[in-house]
Amino acid sequence: MHVPDAVLTPAVAAATGALGVTGLWWGLKSLESRLGERTTVLMGTMSAFVFAAQMVNFPVGPLPISGHLLGGVLSAVMLGPWAGAVVIAAVLIVQCLLFGDGGLTALGANFVNMGLIGAVGGYAIYAPIRRAIGGRGGVLIGAMVAAWFSVLLASGAFALELAFSIGWTEFIRILTWMALVHAGIGLGEALITGLVLRFILLTRPDLVYQSEAETLADGRLRGWGQVVLAGLGIAVAIGVFLAPFASEHPDGLEFVGEKLGFLKGEAPAILPVPIPDYQVAKLFDAGHVKLATALAGLVGTVVVFTVGLGLARVFSRRTPDGIAPDAA
Amino acid sequence: MRLDFLERYSEGDGPLHRLDARLKLVVTIVYVVAVVATPIGWWRFLAAEGLLLAFLVGISGIPPGMLFRRWLGFFVLIGFLALVVAQSHPRRGELGMAALMLAILAKNSLAFLATLTLVNVTPFRTLLIAMRGLGMPALLVSTLQFMYRYLHVLTQELDRMVTARRARTFRRSGKLDWGLLTGLIGLLFLRSFERGERVHAAMLSRGWDGTIRTLDGPNGPAR
Repeated sequence: MHVPDAVLTPAVAAATGALGVTGLWWGLKSLESRLGERTTVLMGTMSAFVFAAQMVNFPVGPLPISGHLLGGVLSAVMLGPWAGAVVIAAVLIVQCLLFGDGGLTALGANFVNMGLIGAVGGYAIYAPIRRAIGGRGGVLIGAMVAAWFSVLLASGAFALELAFSIGWTEFIRILTWMALVHAGIGLGEALITGLVLRFILLTRPDLVYQSEAETLADGRLRGWGQVVLAGLGIAVAIGVFLAPFASEHPDGLEFVGEKLGFLKGEAPAILPVPIPDYQVAKLFDAGHVKLATALAGLVGTVVVFTVGLGLARVFSRRTPDGIAPDAA
Repeated sequence: MRLDFLERYSEGDGPLHRLDARLKLVVTIVYVVAVVATPIGWWRFLAAEGLLLAFLVGISGIPPGMLFRRWLGFFVLIGFLALVVAQSHPRRGELGMAALMLAILAKNSLAFLATLTLVNVTPFRTLLIAMRGLGMPALLVSTLQFMYRYLHVLTQELDRMVTARRARTFRRSGKLDWGLLTGLIGLLFLRSFERGERVHAAMLSRGWDGTIRTLDGPNGPAR
């Protein structure tokens, strides 16, 4: 899922780079004010942990592929949203330099997709669900749903960056295919995140991050910032699945793009393009793919939620909260 | 799961190894940006960039076979993406699918190989000091220094845990199931977290105030 170098245009790379640097700077500042000199040690070891955890390969049944944990939501749930983003940034920098995984010029885009959208956005989805359900079950189900959505949102963000780079003509098709592929990856991520969290919740539930807002006795949110963030997270999550439907006309998004001025000065205006829109060979009818995406999104959410409920049952069956049974 | 292979040649003593790490980092970034910004169709320019990199790899003393093997793994990943991007590229009609794919593959390969060359002529810890020297925030650099230190410790810890699990579970295939694997990750989290707390306490008792001090300069370890 790492964006390589020469896929995004320099303008898009620069814009996401600026956004990424701002986000990282803000994240580091807020962490430093909370943790002080502890930041370095905690973030360093946790980044190394996520890096090592990504090396554990999960076999996918009889298929010749394997998946691994991405860890954005897991680290955000355990350490807080900005700490999660900083951890992802550190992992991305090391992967980029040592493995060549993800381009040097696409570092900003990768951080925006996986750190800002994956960890901070994922936390924005997780926090209200956790609050609504409550207890350790709330942590588990919230994190699983957030993990599932964060992967989809990151893939949607990549499709958007690609559209800004190579034009909007194929945007819907790329978005639907990206969402479809990442629905599978997201299910894996949700399952791994859920199982790892269940283990931690059974052994050391005290390690899960508690934001200051949640420690208020009356259970109200402290500031409007969190409400806005939570609402935004959920709205965008729903938007991913509605986006393909929002433009039932093939050129609906182009229309919006023209209105907003995205396409002004875009390649089609300057260069004559011999192939008209949507004449490129299609594997399936666009309508079917849209339906499949929306269905995958719906089914996926229900599946993740149900599996989360199933996994969370272990908490009620055992001893009451506070006494952590030995799971090892 | 040893990570030694990542920068095996970085401790050598070639002409590129002796250069200032800040210079190498800046040159690499400029090179990658130049490759990425090369317009599609400027084949001679791209070829010249490729020759420049080949020359640098040649004098660096890095075995080209190692770079080639690493590149093969990268090629599979990037090939798929090149196919997707080339298919919907706005200039597909003008340049043709093959040329577009070739351009995307070539640019990405050059950028990838340039990055690998950099880390194989510069130890990563020296690279981090160079980043600090170029104005990267101290907090980020020290976090990366810590991460790099514990990367090897934690992957080896994971290795030992996997071996211990294997020794205690009978499996027909070599694969462990998801329950066991997630247990490993959960346990690794707890161990990493607790190790971090112990290390932090030990560092506090030795006067840790938030800044890492080393004797290394941007030219590598003090000699």
